Amino acid sequence: MDQTKNHSYNAFKKLGYPSKKLENWKFSNSNHLKSYNVINQDQSDIDIKQYLAIENALCFVNGKFVKESLNNFIYKNQISISKTIEVEDSEIVKMSNNFQGESLFNLGIAKFNEGIFIEFKKGGKFDTEIKIINVYDKKTENMFIPVFNIFKLNKKNNISIVEKNVNNGLDSFNLRINKFICSDDSKLNHTMIFNDNTKSNSLGYNYYESGLNSIINVDSFNYESLFNKNFIQVDLNQAGGETTINTLNLTKNNEHVDNNILINHNSEHCISFQNVRNILQNKSTCVFNGKVIVADGAQKTDSNQSNKNLLLSKEATAYSNPQLEIYADDVQCGHGSTTGALDKDSIFYLQTRGIRKEQATQILIKAFAHEVIKQFSNDNIKNKAQAYIDKWMNG
Amino acid sequence: MIKIKNLQVSIDEKDILKGIDLEIPKGEVHAIMGRNGSGKSTLANTLAGNEKFEVKNGSIHMNDVDITEMSVENRALNGIFVCFQYPVAIPGVSMAYFLRAAINAHFEHQGKEEMDAVEFLNKSKKILSELNLDDSFLKRSINDGFSGGEKKKSEILQLLALNPKFAILDETDSGLDIDALKTVANGVNKFNSKNNSTLIITHYERLLEYINPDVVHVMVDGKIKKSGDMSLAKEVEKKGYSWLLK
Repeated sequence: MDQTKNHSYNAFKKLGYPSKKLENWKFSNSNHLKSYNVINQDQSDIDIKQYLAIENALCFVNGKFVKESLNNFIYKNQISISKTIEVEDSEIVKMSNNFQGESLFNLGIAKFNEGIFIEFKKGGKFDTEIKIINVYDKKTENMFIPVFNIFKLNKKNNISIVEKNVNNGLDSFNLRINKFICSDDSKLNHTMIFNDNTKSNSLGYNYYESGLNSIINVDSFNYESLFNKNFIQVDLNQAGGETTINTLNLTKNNEHVDNNILINHNSEHCISFQNVRNILQNKSTCVFNGKVIVADGAQKTDSNQSNKNLLLSKEATAYSNPQLEIYADDVQCGHGSTTGALDKDSIFYLQTRGIRKEQATQILIKAFAHEVIKQFSNDNIKNKAQAYIDKWMNG
Repeated sequence: MIKIKNLQVSIDEKDILKGIDLEIPKGEVHAIMGRNGSGKSTLANTLAGNEKFEVKNGSIHMNDVDITEMSVENRALNGIFVCFQYPVAIPGVSMAYFLRAAINAHFEHQGKEEMDAVEFLNKSKKILSELNLDDSFLKRSINDGFSGGEKKKSEILQLLALNPKFAILDETDSGLDIDALKTVANGVNKFNSKNNSTLIITHYERLLEYINPDVVHVMVDGKIKKSGDMSLAKEVEKKGYSWLLK
């Protein structure tokens, strides 16, 4: 690991902080992240009782795993757990080559000390969702908090992970690196809920490797983040793999959210589906950079990519860049992107039935969101997201 | 009930309605026939309050209240309902949610308590059955993926659920097969009563045969050119519109 960290640090020094000349950072400014250079993952004065009481939750405070959370973890005998930094198998820690060109990914690898490697045992039954709670609560401004977690699903494991950030109002830069190794016939539902308060900056590099016939569902629901840039890369390396990525971002004020999704169809008979919806108020900005690459030989690929942006303000901005690269000839691929305000004809239609304009507007906003919420794999999140939209619209 | 006086309407600076005078008393069913582009749908949209259509002159009164400048939703809450020729599709909003929201908007306007879920379901299922629609229709998004016939039936479902004072049916018969036409006509006949009024806009006489309007008008170039009884509709069906253009 020391060698990897040294290599990454040198790469970061060489690359520097990302500039807007880079495709992945064209619409996201990284300058403000330079000031977050203090790594302090001390958790000594944080009261975590309320988080430890949550059923089946693994808690991280300022990126550091809280061992006591295993006491309430019903699957503690069905997993093996160790520190990522102590993993010796280079295949386990190996990340996407594409991330190697990302300077902040390299910075994260170079600087992380915290994070866990969890392996779910073969034959284990994991019916209840596993919560990952990231609490950011240190009373130090300008903290930089890098964490690297690895999850390995063995053959036929069926795992549901809900990752949630809890930020209590401090100004920090939270860099999350996640790797999910999904073995043959496994199923992963990974849900990310970002509701950092408006002072935090979140950057995520999520890498998913699929096995034969494995299913990977990635859902994310984001609201109240000053800066949130999330990379998702799924490598469909074995035949029969399926991945679905559903994202709903609600932004207002000066918030900035950037979703960078890459799906590599490296094998035949794989399916991928992306549905990213952004609803923007005020002067907020959303970016969608989505790419599907179908490799030579990845025949019978079925892929669809959709990004829709609903602008509720003339000052809000959405950048959409859906891309397809196809090197196989027997595939079915589609992509599309729309950006616009609410449809006036739809508002008029609802009004002609006696529904007030304000209510009609709210119904249509919720309907826009519902088209992605209904695809979420986790029912609890579906209900929470639907309920939260009212608060967001009226807040 | 409805009194339209010298109604002149334009869209994108083009004059469409050039002085419509029309009076529909309570309890009567009137029909307007006319060629494409004669202004029939403009009249329907203007009565609904669509802001795309600019009223240049004239007035619309309902029960002696001037509604010419009234907002879209207030017209609806005061009893105006348009069955649209091309209703919009709204993915993500179920028919049940929409219909209940519309009914409760009317109830609130009338100072009534909200309709509870059970009563709503019972009422809706009864109407659905009359329109030969399955209960699952309520779970579908508004007009999303509906066939032409389902769209028209959806409009009639809303008409019967909201029971307005004045209904305008804008080419509700277009694109319907004979069975669907009969079902829609039965729905309209169920709605018509001595307490409300109906204006049916159509190209053809066939829907009128099932509904039997009290008065038939023919619109030519933004004006009512001729009015009469059902025999006028039959004459138009037989001779076309060209004799009225002279």
